[in-house]
Amino acid sequence: MSPDVLLEHAPLFARAAVVTVRIAALGILGALTVGLVCAAVEHFRVPVGRQAVRAYVELARNTPLVVQLFFLYFALPKVGVVWSGEACAIIGLTFLGGGYMAEALRSGLDAVDASQVDGALSLGMSRGAALRHVVLPQGVAVAVPALTANVIFLVKETSVVSVVALPDLMYVAKDIIGSSYDTREALTLLVVAYLVILLPVALGARALEGRWRRAGLGS
Amino acid sequence: MSTTPGTTPDATGEVAAAPKRRTTLVAAIVVAALALAGVVTWLAFGRSQGAATGPRTVAQIQEAGKVRIGVFSDKAPFGSVDSSGAYVGYDIEYAERVAKDLGVTLELVPVEAAARVEYLTSGKVDIILANFTVTEERAEKVDFAKPYLKVSLGVVSPDGAPITDVAQLDGKDVLVVRGTTAETYLEAHHPEVKIQKYEQYTEVTNALLDGRGAAWVTDNTEALAWAKNNDGFSTTIASLGPQDSIAAAVQKGNADLLRWLDDELVTLGKENFFHAAYTKTLEPVYGTDVSADELVVEGGVVR
Repeated sequence: MSPDVLLEHAPLFARAAVVTVRIAALGILGALTVGLVCAAVEHFRVPVGRQAVRAYVELARNTPLVVQLFFLYFALPKVGVVWSGEACAIIGLTFLGGGYMAEALRSGLDAVDASQVDGALSLGMSRGAALRHVVLPQGVAVAVPALTANVIFLVKETSVVSVVALPDLMYVAKDIIGSSYDTREALTLLVVAYLVILLPVALGARALEGRWRRAGLGS
Repeated sequence: MSTTPGTTPDATGEVAAAPKRRTTLVAAIVVAALALAGVVTWLAFGRSQGAATGPRTVAQIQEAGKVRIGVFSDKAPFGSVDSSGAYVGYDIEYAERVAKDLGVTLELVPVEAAARVEYLTSGKVDIILANFTVTEERAEKVDFAKPYLKVSLGVVSPDGAPITDVAQLDGKDVLVVRGTTAETYLEAHHPEVKIQKYEQYTEVTNALLDGRGAAWVTDNTEALAWAKNNDGFSTTIASLGPQDSIAAAVQKGNADLLRWLDDELVTLGKENFFHAAYTKTLEPVYGTDVSADELVVEGGVVR
């Protein structure tokens, strides 16, 4: 393995890392939003909405991202919906991640005993206030480890977006392997690039979990 | 077989297992010996067989009364098998003529793209006539005759927004299949275009149909065939970039057969043989939009 070759290709990976991080960040943000709405619908047992959410969660969690991407990118244009590769990647990640985030948040909310809501109401709190001050803080605290695991999972899932011609880390690695046959260097840089992105996320997640636990909210 | 400390058999177990273990050992030795014998046999006979079939001269082929030519059986319109089981295609026309002019019968041997060099080096065929592009790497292993076809890149674009000059692609999205000459050519010579790379031909053609790029760049032989079968798209640039030659190949060092093939090309050139072969096999696929001169090489001389 030559250090010169590593240095030569490093800038390409830096540029590709920007694409990976952008897609991951927007996709995760979307997934958290979708997840929160779905979890609330399930937690409050909204009729019909609840069944729809169940169906969505199963669909999202039981189909691979690469299949979802192919569907968004190659199937939708046949009915007149043409989204760019990047839009497909972000929507796909939101769709997949939304299912996982919904499950994590729902289990958190369900972990808060119903008697606590009764208690809050008996103290004169409104339903909204009970949700905001009693259920959500405790529920989210319980869900934090699952949520951070989902975040790391979703960042790693972005490695398939090259199938819709997005120049992410994996795409650049394949480029270098194909054009210069610097296979070892390209794959080493690929591993390093994902670690550079994910190690801070993992460490941040651990710190966050510790803080929520110390707050004594999640049992 | 588990040998973890936790599962070590007790003393009685050891005694009981001893005869069984000896049988296993004997069996293992027998199997190893047989395997070794097999490898030795393969090395001795397999190797010598390959070495025995060195290059055959024209006289030797004529004496044997049969020439063996490696062709594609699944790459229409160059070499394929039709519904009646007969070989057809541009390369086949040439192969049949070679056998006729040698005055021998023809034995066509179906080959795969990746095995074409191996068929020659191991002496399984005398000539390869399978859309074989001349490259430096291949020329180290086999000897190429003069070319009978040329290939370069082609640009397919929608009829609504035809790309007739590569300058029109400046800043536009261009679709390619990863690992093709189109990818390397565009990256080296046209860095101003935005390249979208796909893994498969089906993906890139779908992306083109969905309007994801201004054009698709690929081998012109492929471009022409695809555009012919898809309404609304045309091969608007039929030859772009470096021109590669397609030629017959013989075993390394078979100068006699090579000379015969090159002389044959001169003879065939006088009667415009390859234009006739083009009209018969390639024109039905490529249509009349493209002139035969853009692909066909007569007399072994690329113009």
